[in-house]
Amino acid sequence: MSAAARETGGWRRIAGTLTLAVLLTELPWDGWALTLRPDFILVAVLFWTLHQPARVGFGVAFMLGLLADFQDGAVFGQHAIAYVVGVYLVSFLRVRLLRFDPLRQAAQMFPILLAAQLAAMLIGWLAVEPPQGLAILLPAPASVVLWYAIALFRRAWHGKSLQDAE
Amino acid sequence: MAMPGQLMFARRLGPTARLAIWFAIGVACVVLDVRYQAMNGVRSGLALLLDPVRVALRAPADVAAELEGFFTRHRLLQKERDELLAERTRLRLDAEAARDLARENAALRALLGLRDRPGQRAVQAALLYQGHDWFTQRITLDRGASSGLTDGLPVVDDAGLLGQLTRVYAGSSEVTLVSSPEQLTPVYIERTGQRGLAAGTGHGRLELRYMPTQADVRVGDRLLTSGIDRVYPPALPVARVTRITRSQSGPYLRVECAPLAGLDRARAVLVLAAAPAPRLAAPQPAGKAVQ
Repeated sequence: MSAAARETGGWRRIAGTLTLAVLLTELPWDGWALTLRPDFILVAVLFWTLHQPARVGFGVAFMLGLLADFQDGAVFGQHAIAYVVGVYLVSFLRVRLLRFDPLRQAAQMFPILLAAQLAAMLIGWLAVEPPQGLAILLPAPASVVLWYAIALFRRAWHGKSLQDAE
Repeated sequence: MAMPGQLMFARRLGPTARLAIWFAIGVACVVLDVRYQAMNGVRSGLALLLDPVRVALRAPADVAAELEGFFTRHRLLQKERDELLAERTRLRLDAEAARDLARENAALRALLGLRDRPGQRAVQAALLYQGHDWFTQRITLDRGASSGLTDGLPVVDDAGLLGQLTRVYAGSSEVTLVSSPEQLTPVYIERTGQRGLAAGTGHGRLELRYMPTQADVRVGDRLLTSGIDRVYPPALPVARVTRITRSQSGPYLRVECAPLAGLDRARAVLVLAAAPAPRLAAPQPAGKAVQ
């Protein structure tokens, strides 16, 4: 596979997973599923920030954050700022995060996802009104579980392709 | 190795600087949206782009519901049919009584010289998407400005008042639910006629505000819209009182209510599109007739 082909393939994969994340968020969730719904878009953005930092970073995170704000009918900028904070933390801890196996990596992602969620909560608090209880933080653990599943999947996928290459 | 003419220590902005820049842009967005409502154009554009996606993604849920209905057992259907027959008989009796009351009401109104409530035009809409915002409770409907909807219209389901349209796009609109924090609804207690304000508290509940401690409120009382705000038509059911606490410190009762409308389960709703006519419009024809 040439470098150029790998390049476009990578782009296609990134765009595909980000679109999938948006579509998953667009599904008509309700009830408990809605309360516990992991933040698909945030997880996708942070995943690519970790593995493709040159391609996905602050700009993409901000734009997708605005999209998430629209989807939830929230104040514009609430999720955008939260996602940017998440990207910052991941790029800060990137080298460290890459050294861990999926379970530990997911555990290390928890404070980052929680920080992003807290940022969203804080912005909403300042801009609109105090939040209703701590249910707002529930998506963070759900996102961690999702991250773990994705990291496991990636390791399986990556291991196989490495074996094929060598 | 550095090439001649290339800066040796040139590098891109560090992550902290980028964070600061994007943070500033984000805060600008928040301020523009909250303080100046300047982002409504962006919202409308996104609504235009995403509505078809939402309609398409509602399909799996619809198909699942269809399948579930298809596999419903014969016996269940029969039981339901019997119940419906019984209910129809009961409703027919009620309808007779209601017709009688309407006749009487019309006669009384004629006596008092009051105008009838102007005809409401109801627009049917279906739940399109439930937003996950923790600060206000909103749902998105699949009808918008193209169906003649505007901001502020009341939305009802078969059981009562659901909320109020707060953002209307071309093909969809957002409803702020009555239980949304700080959403106020002027109501009266059906049993006593005492007026009050119901405010959402979040968590799908309401609270009847500013009821003096000696007020006659009981658990189970129904609250109906009073119509004095000229936003909601009068006598739409809103909530039922579930708990009353007397506070030792404050001068008011703490009255908790549960909304009657299915805020978390309504799929098909009605938007009452005709606003109640302004009261001042009534005397004009009479004045002309005198001249």
